[in-house]
Amino acid sequence: MSIRTALAQRNLLYLLSQKELRTRYRKSILGWAWSLLNPLSQMIIFSIIFLKVFDGNAPRGAASGLDNFPLYFLSGLLPFQFFSISVTAAIGNVQGGASLIKKVAFPHEHLVFSIVIAQLVTIGIELVVLSISFLFFGYFMFQWLLPMALLLVLISLFTTGVALALSAANVFFHDINYLWGIVAQLMFYSSPIIFVPSQVPSEAVRFISNWGPTGSFVRASQRILYDGQWPSIERWAYIAAFSMATFAIGAWIFNKLSPRFAEEF
Amino acid sequence: MALHDRSNGASPNYALRVSEVSKTFRIHQERASSLKAFIAAGGRNRYEEFWALRDVSFDVEPGQALGIIGHNGSGKSTLLKCMAGILTPKSGNIEVTKRMAALLELGAGFHQELSGRDNVFLNAAILGMGRKEIAKRFDEIVDFADLGQFIDNPVKTYSSGMYVRLAFAVAINVDPELLLIDEILAVGDVTFQAKCMEKFVDFRQQGRTLVLVTHDATTVRNFCDRAIWLDHGSVRMEGNPAEVVDQYTETMLGAETSAGAEVGRRGDGKLTIDTVELIVSGVPVDRFHTGDDLTVRLHFTAHEPIDKPVFAINIASLGGATITAPSSRQADKTPARVSGSGSVDILMENVPLIAQRYVLHTEVTGFGRQHVYDHLQNARTFDVVTGTSRETSGVVTLHPKWTITGDGVETA
Repeated sequence: MSIRTALAQRNLLYLLSQKELRTRYRKSILGWAWSLLNPLSQMIIFSIIFLKVFDGNAPRGAASGLDNFPLYFLSGLLPFQFFSISVTAAIGNVQGGASLIKKVAFPHEHLVFSIVIAQLVTIGIELVVLSISFLFFGYFMFQWLLPMALLLVLISLFTTGVALALSAANVFFHDINYLWGIVAQLMFYSSPIIFVPSQVPSEAVRFISNWGPTGSFVRASQRILYDGQWPSIERWAYIAAFSMATFAIGAWIFNKLSPRFAEEF
Repeated sequence: MALHDRSNGASPNYALRVSEVSKTFRIHQERASSLKAFIAAGGRNRYEEFWALRDVSFDVEPGQALGIIGHNGSGKSTLLKCMAGILTPKSGNIEVTKRMAALLELGAGFHQELSGRDNVFLNAAILGMGRKEIAKRFDEIVDFADLGQFIDNPVKTYSSGMYVRLAFAVAINVDPELLLIDEILAVGDVTFQAKCMEKFVDFRQQGRTLVLVTHDATTVRNFCDRAIWLDHGSVRMEGNPAEVVDQYTETMLGAETSAGAEVGRRGDGKLTIDTVELIVSGVPVDRFHTGDDLTVRLHFTAHEPIDKPVFAINIASLGGATITAPSSRQADKTPARVSGSGSVDILMENVPLIAQRYVLHTEVTGFGRQHVYDHLQNARTFDVVTGTSRETSGVVTLHPKWTITGDGVETA
């Protein structure tokens, strides 16, 4: 099982993750600043669209008292991007690992795990920067990083499960890569990142955005970071259940397919 | 390459056991590489099975050096990949009782943008080493690779020699008890090759086990104490490397002899060479051993009487360099006149050519060597197989006799 080999070869996992982080912004002048500039530029674009084009109203943070769309946007975007970028990168990493897979026996799942770990480090940095920027709006939220860390553990399980399944399937059918681009978009717009669920007239859309696979953890993240409240126990249980199920299914698919990687490339 | 510690408490009498291993590959006729085609085909790919390995079984004893030879496509690389755990056999078992490392490609997993130092750690980890272990051996690795301060530069700035040296240094320092190698002995410059060879000899002397896959028969003969000949996925022969290698070369060369270089002919044709025979011990042959007595027999026809025709042969290496070119004129054996047909025998005793392929050109000219009656370029090719000499470099052996003396010299 992948967890056991991951522990047995944690040194490899550590070094692969380190490689991801070290080589990510090679040959770029701004380097790591890009991991912050990307969400910030999106924040500016979507804030203008939401506030100026559609004349929307930011929700009021239940306990935090915040009334600030850019911050609302970021508290949903960051966990979503963690998920979507991880899956995209994992598909690419397994595909790009072909020469290694053909020549070396090593736990292939490390190619996926290392991506998720590298992205966890990235979102960790982003969250600290976000917390500091919340300070400028007079809101102290560092104590909320703990439940956020707990939530990220669950999101990581979900992300890893999806990444394992898709990256393994992509070895056999490259369509998966393109298909994922579309699905990721769909997931982005069905999650309440650029809109506020309570302002949505359609009950069905409201339901999906609240309880969809990504919407449910986006809501939880907004609840923690923006509202300054613990998500309901039901939501925790729900996220935990489907994250673990997704991980189990993804790991099963990956274990089933990975012995054939070397001859399929 | 990867390191596996599958050792257990008991010590069985084999380092590696391959039992009834078969491996098939799918050869797709209409490969559904897109999901659409896959679904259209009813979720099924049409393919034919190709048996890369069929019921292969053997043991490798601890401390043994096993050579696996075979022609291209014989399944030897597939077998190695199965042993290394990269491919999963269709059926059968592979048991490894020792800490194993497989060297299939030097520098697999090197990342161009990372420094040599980072790559050492990453590569060694991919090969299965722990962090402390790598740190302990790091200096040794850098020392062996001889990179100096370049160790902190990205490997993309390395010359190919530096790259290979570093890769090999990591691989050999993984410290396996059982090492699987695929055709990698010929890397780097001569000095580095010698260094690698030394490492391998050390490795052998420490009682470690080696499995070498190659199509180079000489390496197997010189380096291994057991050989397996793999042919179309099955074990064709197994045993003493000299015997296996001889059988293998004989068969391989037999299959190739007809495919020689194209014969080129010029001359006025008044006297022609009709056939060229190579005769050893009275029997026409295509190949012979170093040290055999060889007769080259030229059958000729003079279509009109010719005065003082000079017969000559030229034996050359495949590269084109002339090794010897005797003529009847130099031997003072040129006939005064020939007509009709006849033959010329050129006997060369104790032929010093070492095991290789050679070409033979023939020529008949006037006594002044200017007028050409018949010139046959590449009249035939022939092979010499290892006989009295075990030398492998150069083209001839000068039958060296060795004497080593000194106060501290002990006889083996």
